[in-house]
Amino acid sequence: MDQTTPKKTVPTFCYQCVAGPDLMRVEVEGGIATRIESNYSIGEEHPGGGRVCVKAYGLIQKTYNPDRVKTPMKRTNPKKGRHEDPGFVPITWDEALETVAGKLRKAIDDGLTDSSGYPRIAASFGGGGTPTQYMGTFPAFLAALGNVDFGFGAGQGVKCYHSEHLYGELWHRAFIVAPDTPRVNYILSCGHNGDASTGVAGIWRHADARVRGMKRVQVEPHQSVTAAVAAEWIPIKPKTDAAFLYGVIHRILHERDWRADCDIPFLKNDTVAPYLVGPNGYYLRDCETRKPLIHDLADGINKPFDDDITDAALEGSFTCSGIEVGADDDEWSHQDIEAKTSHQVLLDHMKPYDADWASAECDVPAGRIRSVADEFIANACVGETIEIEGETLPFRPVAVLLGKTVNNGWGGYNCCWARTLLLCLVGALEVPGGMIGTNVKLNRPAYDRFTSAVKGPDGIMEFPFNATSKNEWESQPHIRNAYRTLVPLVANSAWSAALGPAHLPWLFQKSPPKNWPKPTKPDIWFCYRTNPAISSWNTAEVTKRMAEFPFTVAFAYTYDESNHMADILLPEATDLESTQLIQIGGTKFVEQLWTHQGWTIRQPACETEVDCRDMTDIATELAVRTGVLEPYNAAINKGGHGVRLATKEFDYRLDETQPHSLEEIWNASAKAASHDLSGGEEINDLDWFKEHGYMLRPFPQLDWYLYPHMKRNGIRFELPYQERILRHGTQLARRLHGIGVEWWDTQLEEYEPLPSYKPFPDIWTEQVREAGGDPDDFPLWALTSRSMQYSWGLNVGIPMINEVAQNVSGHKGLIINRGTAEGLGLAEGDPVVIQSIAGETKGYAVLREGIRPDTVVMIGQFDHWKTPFAKDLNLPSLNSLTSMSLSLTDSTGSGADIARVRVIRGDGPPRPEE
Amino acid sequence: MSEPSPRWGMTIDINSCVGCQTCTIACKHANDTTPGVQWRSVIDVESGEYPDVQRLFLVTGCQHCAEPSCVPVCPTGATKQRADGLVTMDYELCIGCASCAVACPYQARTIVHDPGFYYGTETVQERAVAHDDRIGVAQKCTFCITRVDDGLAAGLSPGIDVDATPACAASCIASAITFGDFNDAESPVSKLAEANDYFQMHKELGNDPQIRYLYQTPSVPGRDPEEPDQYDEEPPEGALTGKLQTFWDMRAAMNFILGGLGSGTVVIAYLLSLTGDIPFMGLRIVFSIAAAVMAVGLFFVWLKIGRKLRAAYVILRPHSSWMSREVYAVAVLAAGLLGAWTLPHPGWLALAALGAALFLYAQARILQAGKGIPAWRTPRMIWMLILSGLAEGTGLNAVIAGLFPQFLPAGFALPITGIVLVVAAASLWRAYVDGAKECGIGAAARTVLAKATPRLYVIGHLAPIVGYFGLIAWTAAPIWLFAVPGALVIAGGAYWKAVVITRAAHFQGFALAKYPGRGSGRLAAPLSLN
Repeated sequence: MDQTTPKKTVPTFCYQCVAGPDLMRVEVEGGIATRIESNYSIGEEHPGGGRVCVKAYGLIQKTYNPDRVKTPMKRTNPKKGRHEDPGFVPITWDEALETVAGKLRKAIDDGLTDSSGYPRIAASFGGGGTPTQYMGTFPAFLAALGNVDFGFGAGQGVKCYHSEHLYGELWHRAFIVAPDTPRVNYILSCGHNGDASTGVAGIWRHADARVRGMKRVQVEPHQSVTAAVAAEWIPIKPKTDAAFLYGVIHRILHERDWRADCDIPFLKNDTVAPYLVGPNGYYLRDCETRKPLIHDLADGINKPFDDDITDAALEGSFTCSGIEVGADDDEWSHQDIEAKTSHQVLLDHMKPYDADWASAECDVPAGRIRSVADEFIANACVGETIEIEGETLPFRPVAVLLGKTVNNGWGGYNCCWARTLLLCLVGALEVPGGMIGTNVKLNRPAYDRFTSAVKGPDGIMEFPFNATSKNEWESQPHIRNAYRTLVPLVANSAWSAALGPAHLPWLFQKSPPKNWPKPTKPDIWFCYRTNPAISSWNTAEVTKRMAEFPFTVAFAYTYDESNHMADILLPEATDLESTQLIQIGGTKFVEQLWTHQGWTIRQPACETEVDCRDMTDIATELAVRTGVLEPYNAAINKGGHGVRLATKEFDYRLDETQPHSLEEIWNASAKAASHDLSGGEEINDLDWFKEHGYMLRPFPQLDWYLYPHMKRNGIRFELPYQERILRHGTQLARRLHGIGVEWWDTQLEEYEPLPSYKPFPDIWTEQVREAGGDPDDFPLWALTSRSMQYSWGLNVGIPMINEVAQNVSGHKGLIINRGTAEGLGLAEGDPVVIQSIAGETKGYAVLREGIRPDTVVMIGQFDHWKTPFAKDLNLPSLNSLTSMSLSLTDSTGSGADIARVRVIRGDGPPRPEE
Repeated sequence: MSEPSPRWGMTIDINSCVGCQTCTIACKHANDTTPGVQWRSVIDVESGEYPDVQRLFLVTGCQHCAEPSCVPVCPTGATKQRADGLVTMDYELCIGCASCAVACPYQARTIVHDPGFYYGTETVQERAVAHDDRIGVAQKCTFCITRVDDGLAAGLSPGIDVDATPACAASCIASAITFGDFNDAESPVSKLAEANDYFQMHKELGNDPQIRYLYQTPSVPGRDPEEPDQYDEEPPEGALTGKLQTFWDMRAAMNFILGGLGSGTVVIAYLLSLTGDIPFMGLRIVFSIAAAVMAVGLFFVWLKIGRKLRAAYVILRPHSSWMSREVYAVAVLAAGLLGAWTLPHPGWLALAALGAALFLYAQARILQAGKGIPAWRTPRMIWMLILSGLAEGTGLNAVIAGLFPQFLPAGFALPITGIVLVVAAASLWRAYVDGAKECGIGAAARTVLAKATPRLYVIGHLAPIVGYFGLIAWTAAPIWLFAVPGALVIAGGAYWKAVVITRAAHFQGFALAKYPGRGSGRLAAPLSLN
């Protein structure tokens, strides 16, 4: 190596997964990016010690991947399909952008919506919101277009913490729920694979917690990375976590003395537990104020919840008079009836779910279910307090975590409710040591969790439900996944489309439901940082549907299974080649709970070998050519790209009539961001950020906890009873039945005020029968598990990532219990075929003891057939096995990553030794 | 008084590590290692049987032992130990003989002859960070010696300042790897080691490795390992299981086969000559044949080494390396033989015989110094190679006597010596196989040895003994028949050496002297009921 070559390090960030961003430095020699290292200078402020994880190190090879799409391309074969050669040929950027702009202009001229009322333009992004951290000003361009369908899913709903997102925001402004890891002492984790999925901050904080003595009990069917480092792994039958949690609750409420164990003041004063419930299932309300009633034991009077109550009754029933306000205009007036408290209704509701019952459901010994409850109570420290930044708060160092497949799909509501209830029982919600939310995505504003936590008329937080009332319900879906029509709980923020029933557009394309607008294909579909042909459920079906789309524009790093169907490929500048300013700090996503907040920059680190363009330049150019430059610039000025350029305090707005260079846009953004952060004391331009990498200011730790805000504003947590869910469900049923829609009836049954347990695994077994199969032919449960090393497939084509991932068991094939494998005549490395009613996938057997005998696991998402390098990995994928069907869709529009399968020996030799 | 030298080392907390491989890949970046080479690696360890299962992640790599077994075996001085304990590599001196690789009980060393490229063809980045000097030589973790040294030069504290800390420890996202100075009681590693129970891997081997594994937390107690080698048959391969070494293949084995045979032949012939029955000329020819056999063996091993043009460097470490000494022994033998051919005097042959004896002993010590290979490192191996070499020596002498009686007159002394030596070799083999488990030879290697034993007993031991007895009893036997038992002894020797060196040569593997008390079922941590 030429020792005289100038060497420099370039600060930038890695945000390949939702657990980021983490900051790094790229070492550059002679214009070539040679190495990655953590940006240790932020070690004191970053909750993960300033480190980046394994994925960041793959970015060098990503940049120099010889298989990159090196110029814009156009399709020459009009036929689309997996087995059709697209015939991509290189074209100029001018031709590519003009072709795309031409299609967009036509869509605008045609009126933006089609005959079914759906947007003509659609766009799909992957990775839980991370693409927006890379796409520069492209969101502003999409905003300028006016009407875009963001509802074609790429796997969300089955791949995310769907129920947690929705119910978490409803109950405690927690799109993601996290323990207060620095203080928690006991974590009950149902399948939460945090040591693979919570990124640097999560792993750093949990490792610290373990070393100081925090105990984690991990309940899941296979011994994941997280179960490995837990104090205990409890194997459980897949999809029965709700039974386990119900058994734990039963132990607390019916076998132990809840009056002694639980946080009684919290239940009485900070939840709806004392609210009286009428015979129709709605709160019994004061006739005059229409406020829910509480029975005051001190004077025996039933009073509105916010009256002067000395000692709210938690248990029992009381003679009351009042009104019940039900769905729509339903109203019942009651005189001297017996009404139970919500807590009493809960006690009655949980009565059947004892540990012995739970054990029969979930295959965990009843004694262990009981002892988990005992441990939970023993560690809850009910009554203790702690001082945070001068304020005394309750200290409840217990948490309950839920993982993917547990907190989405059928049973997700039950698990989320049971988890949050457990925390409520001991007052561990939103307090130090307990369970806290990290951010909001459905509520607005997005920049903090507290502003939207406004007290409603019933003393609980307001929530932006999609309307289900007669007059306001949206009977005509405005996008193809109909989230505003079908899912009241998903709200209507910029994130809601992606969090709706995002598989329905794919499903309905093939088999339209009755009494529903005709499914249409978008005239133009944008794909960015996503590969639905690999990451969706039932990938084969999704692949066929996307092949039917008339015009697809894919931002393409390499060829892949989705852009195989594209008409235009646009090679965008990737992670080490592009510019963007993003927010860091505060409380973000998974376990990023900071004591600082600020901004950081991604910037080009090296000379690029590819004729790629920065997303901001592409967006600007498309805006010009499409004729939406002014609304595009206006969207940038409003912060459509992540930074508001003007407030009352400052104004760095761009001239909306002129196109602006990337540098101009991000320079203004840098000044606005730094001005906003520092209150005008320190204004830094783009060059400053490029040199220094980030800018921070303190963030109060008190803002990690919602509880003080709730107390200050007299707001109660809406637990245990879900009156609003009942009301919306009832109204939605009336609305849908009113237009003849009955195919959503099973989902409507889920709108219960206290969720009852159902044998959830049977839903998947029954679906096999529904699809024409015999469940006995598919005797095993197939699950997936997160790979820390792989990031939503974005780095699946990077050999160095693959090399190190091989060190972690399961990255070589199908994880199967050794005894089960031997019963099937399979040895380590034998080729296997895994079949479900929906499809099949192939791989090699990986024999392990740490998995239930009735379960197999496929790590990550593979089964590639086009992506270079990845297509030769010969790894199986659950996505090729999961059925996409309404019967597997819950009321929030989500499914779960699970399938009934059989495993048979495949053809060919065993897996070659590396 | 000058400050004591640091003793760099690490603590690794098994309860922190989540096996994420960030250290693995950070090391690859910091040290520019090529495809498949991992100086730092984290293995995924599963033990127990469902439903009582434990899984853990174990950080592995060079332990920078205080008593490194790789250093004395190095014949060139390419591997050294600094005063601060770091075990270093000089790629310019290394010949790629792999003595260090088989001497390491921690599987820390790699030799790459053809590095290859991640995408098949070299990228500009790979060219920019290429280290051609590492091709064909031993490489391993250096504890990021450059970061440490440069950091110290810049006034930084390794283990505290990340820029002066090995990349694996600096990059670790679980704070599992801590680097520092064990000679400084105030360093983080010293404090961690002081405050926690720890174990050193394979401590019983005496290397005093400088990685200390922490294994318990307040909620996860430590526990003793379960029966470490519970299998009598070949077990399912686990992450801890030592894999078959591939550094020394049949080319290396040929040196032990032919070298032992040749040197044993010289020694035996010389000893037989002391009876006065062998003419000087005949002895000189026997010596020459034997020397040629040895030379072929050495040629094979030359074919094996990674840097053939540097072969001469092998002489640089006679004060510690038996491989160097082997070469000096060859020189003694060669000098004696050359003298014997130029100036006929029995003294030359005595010198040659001395060289051969030294050679045989040196070879025995070379293999036994393969401390990373339990099947090699047993002290019994020295005697096995010496006695087998001598027995094979009777064999080649018998073959020569049978085919060329004019050089080597046959007599009773040869078969009697042969019988004694073969019986001794057979006894040693039996003791070796019977004691294999006790001396740490793993189940997979034991299976190989057990399968080979009957064949060896029949071909290499029983048949030649019968043959030698036959020659003693049947005085009228044709002379050429001497070649038959002789050849069988040689075949037996070649067979077991080939088996031991290439097929039963599994690495030590990894082991935990203590486990974190966590897992499922009976392995779970105790209840936390305060």
